[in-house]
Amino acid sequence: MPRSGFRQPSVLPGFGLTFGFTTFFLSALVLIPLAALVVTGASMPWREFVHVVTSARALGSYRLSFGASLIAASVNLVFGFIIAWTLVRYEFPGRKLIDALIDMPFALPTAVSGIALTTVFAPNGFLGHYLAQAGVQVAYTALGVVIALTLIGMPFMVRTMQPAIAEVQRELEDAAEILGAGRLYAFRRIILPTVVPAMLTGFTLAFARAVGEYGSVIFIAGNLPRKTEITPLLIVIHLQQFDYQGAAALGLVMLGISFTVLLAINLLHTWGRRRFVATGR
Amino acid sequence: MAANPATLAHQIVRRPGADSLLPALLRVALIAISLGFLAALLIAPLATVFITAFAHGIGAYLDSFADADTRSAVRLTLLTAAVVVPLNTVFGLAAAWCIAKFEFKGKSFFVTLIDLPLAVSPVISGMLFVLLFGLQGWFGEWLQDHDIAIVFALPGIILATMFVTFPYVAREVIPLMQQLGNDEEEAAITMGAGAWMTFFRVTLPKIRWGLVYGVILCNARAMGEFGAVSVVSGHIRGLTNTMPLHIEILYNEYNFVGAFAVASLLTLLALVTLVIKTVVERRAERGR
Amino acid sequence: MSISLDQVTKRYQGSPVVNDVSLEIGDGEFFVLLGPSGSGKSTLLRAVAGLIGVDHGRISLQGRDVTHVAARDRGVGLVFQNYALFRHMSVADNIEFALRVRRMRARERRARRQELLRLVALEGMDDRLPAQLSGGQQQRVAVARALAHKPEVLLLDEPFGALDAKIREELRRTIRQVQRELGITTVLVTHDQEEAFALADRIGVMNHGRLLEVGRPDDLYARPATRFVATFLGAANLLLARQTSRGITFGAEPVAAPRGEHSERAHEVVAVLRPEEIELAPSREALRFPYMARGAVEEIVFAGASERLRVRVEAAASAQIVRADAAAELAPGASEATSLEVTRTQHEQRLFPLRPGLEVAIGVRRLHVLPTPLSSFAVCAPSREEAERLRDNTLLAELAGRMKTRIAVVVEPSLGRETQPLDESVGVAGAAVIASDAAAARNAEWLLRRGAEEVLVLPRNTPSPRRVLIHWVDPAARRATLAVSASLLRHLSAEAVYVGILPGDPASSGQRSLGMRALLDARSEAQAVHGLEMRTELRYGDVTAELMGRLAEAPGQLLILGLTDAGDLARRFATLLTAPQHPLLIVHQPVAGAQPYEAAQPLRAHAS
Repeated sequence: MPRSGFRQPSVLPGFGLTFGFTTFFLSALVLIPLAALVVTGASMPWREFVHVVTSARALGSYRLSFGASLIAASVNLVFGFIIAWTLVRYEFPGRKLIDALIDMPFALPTAVSGIALTTVFAPNGFLGHYLAQAGVQVAYTALGVVIALTLIGMPFMVRTMQPAIAEVQRELEDAAEILGAGRLYAFRRIILPTVVPAMLTGFTLAFARAVGEYGSVIFIAGNLPRKTEITPLLIVIHLQQFDYQGAAALGLVMLGISFTVLLAINLLHTWGRRRFVATGR
Repeated sequence: MAANPATLAHQIVRRPGADSLLPALLRVALIAISLGFLAALLIAPLATVFITAFAHGIGAYLDSFADADTRSAVRLTLLTAAVVVPLNTVFGLAAAWCIAKFEFKGKSFFVTLIDLPLAVSPVISGMLFVLLFGLQGWFGEWLQDHDIAIVFALPGIILATMFVTFPYVAREVIPLMQQLGNDEEEAAITMGAGAWMTFFRVTLPKIRWGLVYGVILCNARAMGEFGAVSVVSGHIRGLTNTMPLHIEILYNEYNFVGAFAVASLLTLLALVTLVIKTVVERRAERGR
Repeated sequence: MSISLDQVTKRYQGSPVVNDVSLEIGDGEFFVLLGPSGSGKSTLLRAVAGLIGVDHGRISLQGRDVTHVAARDRGVGLVFQNYALFRHMSVADNIEFALRVRRMRARERRARRQELLRLVALEGMDDRLPAQLSGGQQQRVAVARALAHKPEVLLLDEPFGALDAKIREELRRTIRQVQRELGITTVLVTHDQEEAFALADRIGVMNHGRLLEVGRPDDLYARPATRFVATFLGAANLLLARQTSRGITFGAEPVAAPRGEHSERAHEVVAVLRPEEIELAPSREALRFPYMARGAVEEIVFAGASERLRVRVEAAASAQIVRADAAAELAPGASEATSLEVTRTQHEQRLFPLRPGLEVAIGVRRLHVLPTPLSSFAVCAPSREEAERLRDNTLLAELAGRMKTRIAVVVEPSLGRETQPLDESVGVAGAAVIASDAAAARNAEWLLRRGAEEVLVLPRNTPSPRRVLIHWVDPAARRATLAVSASLLRHLSAEAVYVGILPGDPASSGQRSLGMRALLDARSEAQAVHGLEMRTELRYGDVTAELMGRLAEAPGQLLILGLTDAGDLARRFATLLTAPQHPLLIVHQPVAGAQPYEAAQPLRAHAS
């Protein structure tokens, strides 16, 4: 039974049952497996740990995974803003359809987007052959990885930005106009700042998602060690070689970064909310 | 008789003295850029799935499903979903009830744990279970002694899929229940309704559309999960290959028609998911 | 003139939201635009600010035509109902925004900012964020921000709507103070008449897009010119009375002296009787003011400093009294007994305490007669079914509803039969309403002779018209026609167009200048005397043919035709009365020397 001070009394039933079940589920499915990861990684001698996570191959994979994710998230920042703006502010035939399709990368299995993208951007693919004529190779290069990660992150960016843009009251623009501001000035000083917190959140979400991505990238990347090999793939290879500890070590590094990112998102949310909470009724 | 001035004022009307050429050009340019971007990154791959699947005609398309390994992959995927989705739904509802209806210390810890799988790479998610149940894992020896296979077998696949997809139902339902508040349930309880009755008659109807969407999404992700299952399954053809893994195999064998044929099924599932999402959103808006 | 509006019109999907509004606001004046929601007042304000373009008309600020000038170049300041503060900027940055745009130096900006903060009593709040301020404080910041760039005109769009009552009062005082101190021309839009009374130097009342009346608050309250203003500015009992040479009467005895030059025949008028101007006494002899009727107290509500009563007026004396106050929709025919709203002070309560059920004598301290020509409607048809059908006509119902007046029913069998001579003993008051059929011309002529001042001829289905055409056959009918048109157009969202028709051919320049002069005269009289804004056009040819042609051009039109000789209806205008889709309102201005039309008996209305 709940200890006093642990929870506030309530007339609703079911706390014991649901709390117990939730705790059991989360422990069994999340905490214990996580513990296994931490323990396995920690059971490694320090020097070996460092050796694995800083090997040339590992470093190359970090460069690709994190670098490409950063670039993809930045690309999404620009295009995501444009798409969100267009969907919120403009009417055009097919807008509702496009709006619904934005969630597609979210619902589509990663393997499917992986092979589809590869086929499109392969040298003989629909877009790939135009690019090949221009001398640009996409498939099996880092550029391909960036493109795949951009697709993956796009819904996060657009969906985070749409409500922010929609929330900018038209009256603010009216007010700015009456006070003498031109359209560009109003955009820079009024609209953009209001939207920046959402942009940051979207960026972080897209980045976090991209870093761990496996299925969409595996097909389009060349998977050459140190050149076009992503970190998750490196982990898989360690596992296939039954090097559980090495895999765990790399996993811990990735997790560490993920957690930092999660923390950053939460802090951003709190900061944004404190600064811009609307009180006017 | 007169129109509501509020809607009038919020029309994008042309104001006096406003230059109309530049904004019009800008509008066209932005729409063009958006559509171009989406066409290349979204529409083209989607179209490719179906075009390649049917590249050799409907006959070849249907033949892909005649293959025994493909059929067992489909069966395995369906079986996994059939186990994972209900369990996750139950968890989602239980966690939502616990978190939305009560105040207790450590609530945010729960929420963080629920959000966790979304921030973790699928490969790591799969690895967690290998570390637990793999040959060299914590329970590895014990399992071997008792001749129980988790990794490289169905249970492992189910566990890994569950890990990756359990947040979806919870994350849909928790904010929904928080938003809807406790008033109606408290009223029901004080009128003498039992716990289960309150849940089924009062709470469930309120959240049904969000719940439907969460379940559908959970299902789509469960059937489509690749990275985590890839690590845990061992890729044994005909036995531990789900549809996404089978797609990988077919693709690596250059059997494009086959790979995209299976992919087309999953794509259709994704499209259905999106349609249901749109319907749910429209219902939710109307209901509010 | 600080602000000058000339025939400003804004249409939305074909209907005018702001309908031919002309207005002049002086330097330093505090002007309040008052009206219910949907009246177009906010739209008008935004048009003045430059946020909306207008479809017709001219806007001038300080003598400069700014109709096509962008908002940022007009030199106005605007305060929004929901503050519209820039939430990511501090109070200081918000206020300095306009100055920063104009590249003022930091030191000067700071000085100006301090000055403004002092003005709105928010010193020291420079670094706060809007989220940290209360609603009232945010609105003060909005005012300071709007004034930063020293605009010549300050516009406020229902600025206190989002605040509670107490804060509202505080802010009202602040705004008044700021306005006095700066001497800046101010226009405030509101739907709250209390606010309008408290703040305004002059009030402009709007409804359905039209500017109905403009005047000082006390003038508008004591002497409204329209039903709407009478009921919108305060509680009012609207009664139908007869104006005779002896005075205004409800029953046998006059309650007020005759008004103006109305030594002509007796006719029905609409009188405004405010609740506070009614005296109640135990008996007729105890009344100090003219006696109106006997009544009984129905309901008493205690309201602190005053007492609100509903007094039922005894039926025998009230055959002509029709109650229509701001709250109630009048049910046709349900008018035989009626209640008056009465307000009494504490003093009066002590002198003569009352309970529900007590009988009282009702006296009238002060009565105001509305100069509106359309007092009520009387549907006239040969049979009861046809009369009911006419009464349910959508246009008629809309007009009667908006005017809050009754529709009486007169069944007169001889109306239907063309050959039968008509009963000469029946009298009709108010505007008669008949159906558009073969006998319409004859019926209309007969009704006009029986005392109806106007006849409304309605086809079967008449949607609310979008345009009203006005024409008078004889210049002598001009005044009456314009008065009726103005009254009608106050209750319709429609454009008004005066169609001048000259005989002969357009090429003759003498004719043209004659015609133009007539148009200008008509327009200026309409505006100056009747408060009606209308367009004008000139046509040549036969009157009936031209009017038919104009009507045929588009659906949704109504024609107001003024004439002096009722016989013209059958002689010249018979086709107009039977034109299938267009309602027609005939205004009759009998010339002096013609037979006086004293009705044989007062109105004979059938209860239904």
